Amino acid sequence: MTSNTKSESINDFLKEKKKYVDISEFDSHFFDDIERRSKILTCIQCGTCSASCESGRWTALKTRIIIRKLILGDLSVLKDPDIWLCTTCYNCYERCPRDVRPTDVIIELRNYASKLGNIHPVHRKVVDYLKATGHAVPINDKIKQMRKELDMEEIPPTLYKFKDEENSDLTRYAKELFNLVPPKGEKEENKDTNKDKEKKA
Amino acid sequence: MVQDKKYAFYLGCIMPNRYPAIEKSTRYVMEKLGYELLDMERAACCPAPGVLRSFDKEDWMVAAARNICIAEKMDVDLITVCNGCFGTLQEVNLRLHEDEALREKVNEKLKLLGDYEFKATIEVKHVAALLSIDIGPTEIQEHLVRKLNATTAIHYGCHFLKPSHVRQIDSPEDPTILEDFVEALGIKSLNFKQKYTCCGAGGGIKAAYADTSMTILSEKMKHISEVNPDFILDVCPFCHLQFESGQDWLKKNHNINYDIPVFHLSQITAYCMGMDEKYMGLQYQNNGKKYELTPIEVQAND
Repeated sequence: MTSNTKSESINDFLKEKKKYVDISEFDSHFFDDIERRSKILTCIQCGTCSASCESGRWTALKTRIIIRKLILGDLSVLKDPDIWLCTTCYNCYERCPRDVRPTDVIIELRNYASKLGNIHPVHRKVVDYLKATGHAVPINDKIKQMRKELDMEEIPPTLYKFKDEENSDLTRYAKELFNLVPPKGEKEENKDTNKDKEKKA
Repeated sequence: MVQDKKYAFYLGCIMPNRYPAIEKSTRYVMEKLGYELLDMERAACCPAPGVLRSFDKEDWMVAAARNICIAEKMDVDLITVCNGCFGTLQEVNLRLHEDEALREKVNEKLKLLGDYEFKATIEVKHVAALLSIDIGPTEIQEHLVRKLNATTAIHYGCHFLKPSHVRQIDSPEDPTILEDFVEALGIKSLNFKQKYTCCGAGGGIKAAYADTSMTILSEKMKHISEVNPDFILDVCPFCHLQFESGQDWLKKNHNINYDIPVFHLSQITAYCMGMDEKYMGLQYQNNGKKYELTPIEVQAND
């Protein structure tokens, strides 16, 4: 009984979302995932999330509206830059009377937005750093000097220190993890040539 | 059973690569307390629970499991000084302990990264929890060389305590562990408006929407400055960076110069346990350079 209602609602949902996003690779898993993980359908729109939101006090981020849109099948939220304004402070998560876990919902939405290539250029750079050094915040000469002055090892024993090993962990790490979908308009071929360039460099 | 009195020291990114003095201080504190810290060779970014988890939760989990595996191989629990690293590693560790199917899936991908297999044998600990709970305000007094006559604005940060059902450390709405601990160091913790709010750095907004991030911090700084503390005390290098860069931003953009020094709990504790002041690294920070520590020597009692 429940499953019928659910598949009907998912069909409507699929129709609706086509208006907003290019969803060729998308299917109903999206709705399934979010619902399963976060029980968004139990939201009573009380607004505790928005009232507790550290970012929403200063920005257009309205967590309650995001959840509302999801319940109604409005996937425009995936293109909405507001979902990237959450600081993941977990206030809403702690206080939600229905245990919707809005922070997780937002992370989930960001994951889907990323699959559509909707990623901020600065965030792409963070991933570049990660792949190049194993750190989101890499070391620099000033810090190396500082470490020396503090009687510490100049370079900490992290992945970066071992980057030149043969078949290094860093190479494998960079190859297997966080392979972001390129921004819209950039073709796969370009991406590959870029990768080759990186290797040569 | 993991080995006693030993920890795998997980460095993360911001501590070793921006605030090495926090690393120095943590090593000092742990050694003085009789713990051995083992290096985690080839450990990488935790990865950050706000920004990197947002792109791909699966990869985030695999990369975190890889770090935990390094500590598992050494047969010791893992310790971190950063709320972000703690947020990621503690959560992933817990989930992979509980969910065998997920563990298999993660292990499948871990093989591609090298000789790694998650076996669910260790725990992840935050140094602030170790100090304030495991050691605690009573026991720490036995290790103090001096106390500090000072006032502070404590900043817990978000991922240390939340989600509270995952962390299970202290109440996220009204925690007291750090207040109790610093009191044992002679420091008076001040109450200020909206004490438990976020510093505004997390979730990737510091990187992509810096002005928004700074606006959130500005409100926080306003409330902190109202009570005029000697320093801000945090338990997270990312919050630390935010308080430092935020005060710089306010100077530059709004001509507000709070100039309040920022310390990590490790730095203050190390000083009270006898570490030389120069290793606290205030000289490398941008704010509160003029702050003079006011120690009260503690009589040695054997």
